[in-house]
Amino acid sequence: MMWMNVWAVIRREYLQRVRSKWFVAATVGGPLFMVAVTVVPAYFASQGERAERELAIVDGTNVLYERLAPELEESGWTVHEERWHADVMTELRQAATDGVIGGFIMLDELTLETGEAIMYATNRPSTIRQVTMRSSIARAALEYQLEQRGVDADAMLRGGGLRIELLSDEGSDMEDPEFAVAYLGAFFLYMIILIYAVSVMRATLEEKTSRIVEVIISSMKPWHLMLGKILGVGAVGMTQMGIWLTFGILMFATGLPMLIAAQPELASLDGLRDVLPGAGMLALFVGFFLFGFFMYAGMYAAVGAMCNTDEEAQQAQFPLIMLMVVPIVMVMNVIENPMTPLSTGLSLFPPFTPILMWARVAGGGVPGWQIALSFVLMLGAIFAIAWLAGRIYKVGILMAGKRPTLPELWRWVREA
Amino acid sequence: MSENGFALRMQGVTKRFGKHTAVDSFDFEVPRGSICGLLGPNGSGKTTSIRMIMGILNPDEGSVQLFGADPDVTRRTKVGYLPEERGVYKKMKCLELVMFLGEIRGVRRAEGRKRGQVWLERLGLSSWADKRVEDLSKGMQQKIQFIGTVIHEPELLVLDEPFSGLDPINQDVLEEIVRDFHAKGTTILFSTHLMDQAERLCERVCLISNSKKVLDADLAALKAAERKGIVAVEFEGSDSWIQGPEIDRIESINGGLRLILRDGADHQAILRRGVAADARILRFDLVEPRLHDIFVRHAGAGAVGDSGMPVGANLGGAS
Repeated sequence: MMWMNVWAVIRREYLQRVRSKWFVAATVGGPLFMVAVTVVPAYFASQGERAERELAIVDGTNVLYERLAPELEESGWTVHEERWHADVMTELRQAATDGVIGGFIMLDELTLETGEAIMYATNRPSTIRQVTMRSSIARAALEYQLEQRGVDADAMLRGGGLRIELLSDEGSDMEDPEFAVAYLGAFFLYMIILIYAVSVMRATLEEKTSRIVEVIISSMKPWHLMLGKILGVGAVGMTQMGIWLTFGILMFATGLPMLIAAQPELASLDGLRDVLPGAGMLALFVGFFLFGFFMYAGMYAAVGAMCNTDEEAQQAQFPLIMLMVVPIVMVMNVIENPMTPLSTGLSLFPPFTPILMWARVAGGGVPGWQIALSFVLMLGAIFAIAWLAGRIYKVGILMAGKRPTLPELWRWVREA
Repeated sequence: MSENGFALRMQGVTKRFGKHTAVDSFDFEVPRGSICGLLGPNGSGKTTSIRMIMGILNPDEGSVQLFGADPDVTRRTKVGYLPEERGVYKKMKCLELVMFLGEIRGVRRAEGRKRGQVWLERLGLSSWADKRVEDLSKGMQQKIQFIGTVIHEPELLVLDEPFSGLDPINQDVLEEIVRDFHAKGTTILFSTHLMDQAERLCERVCLISNSKKVLDADLAALKAAERKGIVAVEFEGSDSWIQGPEIDRIESINGGLRLILRDGADHQAILRRGVAADARILRFDLVEPRLHDIFVRHAGAGAVGDSGMPVGANLGGAS
C-alpha cells in the first residue's frame, strides 16, 4: 500500500509520455535529426560543383597520373588522362568552355621536383578543394621520389605511428581514444539530461498550476509524488535510449553489411564501425545519463515546485542551466588535456561529471578508480539533492504567491 | 472506528497570511454521519479552513483532527476532497484519470475501472470514458473530478463549492448523489455561498464571516429558535403602523413585506397598532426564517467582506 501510490504516479507519468505523439516524434526524429545535421551538409558539399568535377589530366611525366588519379577520385573528382600532343591545350580549352569538362591539369618535370602544377578551370575551385588537390599532387610527386630511394613512402606519409606504452598500471580498459565519441557523446548527454530534467520541472509546474496537486497531496506524501515523477520520467528516458541503441546496433550489425553487399562502392562506410563505442562505453553512457538525470531532475523538480508560471520557471532555472553549460564550455579543453589536475578535479565535481568524465573516459587512459569515485560522488550528490529538493518541493508545491527568495528557500528547507 | 463521535474537529485554529488573519481561532466539529454546510461570503475563510483540514495549509495555531486523531496521510486517504479550484490532468482519458485518483488512495486498477464505469454511467458520461479530459466541457470535467473524489468510497467527503459551475439540472443530480452518500452514512462537509442549497441539504450549518465563526448549530433547531423574529405581512391602507421600536428593518419580498424584529420584541404590539391604524390586514404570519436572515442577523451590520461590500449584499447577490 505504501508504495502503491508511488507506483501509480510512475505508471501514469510513463504511459502518458510514452503514448504521446511527442515521444514518438522525438524517438524517430532524434536520430533522423542527428543524421540530418551530420550527413546532409556533407552530402551537399560533395554534390556541389558536380558539373565541374570532370577533370582531364595531361601527364608529361608518365609516372604521376597512376598515383594521382585514385587520390583525386577519392576526394570526389572524376579524372581521365589525355595524352600529350601539340593541340591538346586548344582541344581541352574548348571542351572546358563547352562545359564537357570542368578543367584540366598539366603535370610536367617541374611538378616532379617541386610539386607545382597548373590547373586550367572555368571556375575557381573552393579553397578546400584547392588544398586537397595541391596536397594530392605534392604527395604523388613525393611518393614517387621516395620510392626511387627505397623508402616506404606510404607509411611515412600516413603520418608515421606512435605506440603508447603506459608505465603505470592504472590504464583504463576503455576503447580507442576517439574525439567524435567524446565530443558528440558529451553533447548528447547534455541534451538528454537537460530535456528530461526540464520535463520533470514542467510536469511539476503543470500539476501545481492546474491545482490537481491539492488532490494528490491530500492522499500521498509530497516526497512520494516527487519520487514517482522523477522515476517515471527517467523510465521514459531509458526507454527512448533503449530504442535508439537497439536500432543503432541493428543498423550496424545487419543493415550496414547488407548495404555494402548491395552497393560495394559504399565499402568505406565499413570503417565507421571502428569509431563506434563498445559495450563498456555504452554502459557508462547510460550510467552517466541516469545519475546525471537523477541529480538534475531533483533540482528541476524543486524549481518547478517553487514557481507559479512558465516565465518564472524560465528565470528560476537559470542557475541550473549555468551548471550544465559550464562543463559544455570546458569539454574541448578536457578532451585535449584529459589528465591535468584541473580536468580531473572538474570531472569529479558531481554536477559536471556526466559530461566531463564522459569526455575524459572516451579519450582513454582514465584510471578505473576515478570513474568509480565519480559514480560514488554522484550517488552522494543524488541523495543530498533529493533531501534538499524534497524539502523545497514539499513546501513549494502547495505555495501560491511570489517566488521565494534564497533566504526563504533556506527557511523552507529547515522547517519542512 | 468509534474513537469519538466526530469525523472532523478543529480546535482554536488560526491562520494568518502576513498581517491578514484568514481564519481566527476557529472551533468546529462535524459529527460522524452528518451533513454539514460551511457558509459564508467570499473571502470569509471557508477555503482556508478546508485547506487546513486537508493538510494543504498548516494552521499557525490550534489543531485539526480527523476521525479522532492527527490527520496523517493514512487518515486523509479516507477523505474525498474536491478543491474549490478544479484540477485535472487534461491529457488523460477520463476513465484513466478516475482510476489513477483511486489508485493513489489504494483502489486497485481493476476495481477502480469497475467503479469508474458505474459512476460514468450514472453521470451520463459513459460514452466519454476513453476521451481525453480536455475534450470535455467544463461542467463535464467537474463531474469527472467529482467521480475522482468519491472513487475510493471515502468515509468523509470534503467538498469546496461543489455546485458552482454546474447548470441547475446537474446541480440537482449532484445534490441527489450527496444525499445518497449521506444516506449510506458518509460524513459530508461542504462549503457554499448558496444559502438555498445549504438550506435544502444541511443538517448542520456553520456560518463564517470575517474569518470568524459566527454560528455553528443544528439547522432545524436553529430555525425553530429563530422563528419568532420574522413576520410576513400583507395589508391595504395606512402603513404608519409598521414603524416602531420592535422593528429592525423591513424587506419587500414577492409583493409582501417581511418585518425583521429586534431581539426579544413582541409582534403582538405591532398587530395591535395595525388594528388601531385601521389597516386592512390580509396576512400577519410568523414565518420560519431563511438561512439568509439568520446569517445576516448573526453576522450583524459589522460583517463587511473584504471587498467592502456588506455581507448581506454579497449573499443576496449569490442566492
